[in-house]
Amino acid sequence: MVGFRASRAHRDERIALAILMACSAIFVVAIALILGFLAINGTKLFFQDHVSPLAFLFGTTWDGFGGHYGALPFIVGSLVATGFAILVGGPLGVAIGVFFSELAPARIAAVFKPAIEVLVGIPSIVYGWLGLTLLVPALGAITHTNGDGLLAAGIVLSIMILPTVISLSEDALRVVPNALREGSASLGATRWETISRVLVPAASSGIAVAVILGIARAIGETLAIQLVLGNAPVLPKSLLSPASALTSEIIIDMGDAPDGSPFRHALFSMAFLLLLIAMALIILIRLALRKRT
Amino acid sequence: MADAAMVNAPDVKQDLSRSRARGRRLVDAVATLLLWSAASIVVGLLLLFVAYLFYKGASVVDWHFLTGNPTAAQAGGGIGPFIYNSFYILLLTLAFTIPIAVSAGMYLQEYASRGRFRQIVQFSAESLATVPSIVMGLFGLLVFVEAFHWHFTALGGALTLTLLNLPAMMRVTQESLAGVPATYREASMALGGTKWQTIVRAILPSAIGPLTTGVVLIAGRIFGETAALIFTAGASVSYGRSAYDPSVWHTAETLSVALYQTHREALVPDADRIGNGAALVLLVMVLLFNIVARVAGRRLSRRLTGKST
Repeated sequence: MVGFRASRAHRDERIALAILMACSAIFVVAIALILGFLAINGTKLFFQDHVSPLAFLFGTTWDGFGGHYGALPFIVGSLVATGFAILVGGPLGVAIGVFFSELAPARIAAVFKPAIEVLVGIPSIVYGWLGLTLLVPALGAITHTNGDGLLAAGIVLSIMILPTVISLSEDALRVVPNALREGSASLGATRWETISRVLVPAASSGIAVAVILGIARAIGETLAIQLVLGNAPVLPKSLLSPASALTSEIIIDMGDAPDGSPFRHALFSMAFLLLLIAMALIILIRLALRKRT
Repeated sequence: MADAAMVNAPDVKQDLSRSRARGRRLVDAVATLLLWSAASIVVGLLLLFVAYLFYKGASVVDWHFLTGNPTAAQAGGGIGPFIYNSFYILLLTLAFTIPIAVSAGMYLQEYASRGRFRQIVQFSAESLATVPSIVMGLFGLLVFVEAFHWHFTALGGALTLTLLNLPAMMRVTQESLAGVPATYREASMALGGTKWQTIVRAILPSAIGPLTTGVVLIAGRIFGETAALIFTAGASVSYGRSAYDPSVWHTAETLSVALYQTHREALVPDADRIGNGAALVLLVMVLLFNIVARVAGRRLSRRLTGKST
């Protein structure tokens, strides 16, 4: 009886392990399929339609039905909007991370932390709606333009990456050993000196990861910026002129591009480019973390 | 030591070090002020968003709006079917996401040693987590809509969202399991439990609180997802699907997709009104998901572990 029970438990154990491993394998298969499908469909423009990759990457004319597949305006749009978000949202997010890790009294943190969780949870389409109905008119009134363009997109993205940067840089600071804080204080350093010269350098690789994940979030964001960009497929003349980005152009044109057309292939090339950027960021994160250990 | 320095140092040097100390204290005070203002921005923005969305949407949202059918070209349409589709796709997505991601999380946290397979799974999950949702949407389009010939379906949308949310759900599982004290495992093993029995009877019940919190927060994200659904579940309620359709094989336009379409190609004259109402409903849902996540997580932990956390 005991033996029977034990063998059944043993069999359950093996079945469970097999199922758990199979579920883990799904992750590997999924990312492999995604890379594969997008690599195939994202390079048809070059191999099947014989458009040169250089004409795609550096061409400035985008006319899907007219045979021009220059994606530079969207690459520039994505990079400028993301760059703006990192320049504004990056330092701000790290500062707030410092605040939560080093300054915030428990009672304040109990109010502010849930606020950040709600900001994470607000869907990007709602950020877009806020941008469209609140930010763009305000920017328009201030600058006497239409208000849409890369500045509006940059501001929306700055806000959207804040929660990511805040919580990850806070985590990075929290794991800095207390001995460093105490040592710095006992040398007579003020709190700010401890933060700026000891803690932030000690947490630098974790903070770098926070910023890189902020970049990843910003570069892939679609609807929030599509609603505020103005959607002109041209190289942006200024931060306040209508522009477009890789993500927003895909969503605009995908419905119109006929099956099997170079137009559609070019959109998949843009998606593949986005995927390659995301993978490059993952590798960057690995490098940043390896430096620490 | 400070006294000795003061005795030996000339007066000028002493004054200098005093004014320098004052300067350093001033810098510290300014930095403190700036850090407080930076943090206040987050709360300020959230209050601004909530106030604005309520101001614009509160007059729109009523029972008729929440339950009414959308109209094609005249004013006065509601969002009932969109809300239904959002919950429909949410539940379908969770039904796929939870078993797979919790299993994978259990494997990585409880079984896998530092082997190669574990590293590959972990790296795949990290990579999967950074795939932009629009790219995931195009993958769903290639596979479910075109390769499988499903056309735009609720099922295809839910599977695409599953891929998008697997990594977060797995991380939540790993963190929840990591929070269970090692003594629980040891006690169960000492009683003769196998590894699997230990996980199911000792570890999972004590991790259920944080696990539930994580599931509900991820549910909130699924509810609001848009970009991945437009080309997989479709952007039209009328396409082959009745208003409240139980089939997974038909198009399902969710509330967030509807908000996008409202701006993009609405024929109704009151598109702004519907947009403001839909945006408010989405915000309120996010707030509800957050509150439920906290309360349910705490309650469950207390019931299943007999202690308050």
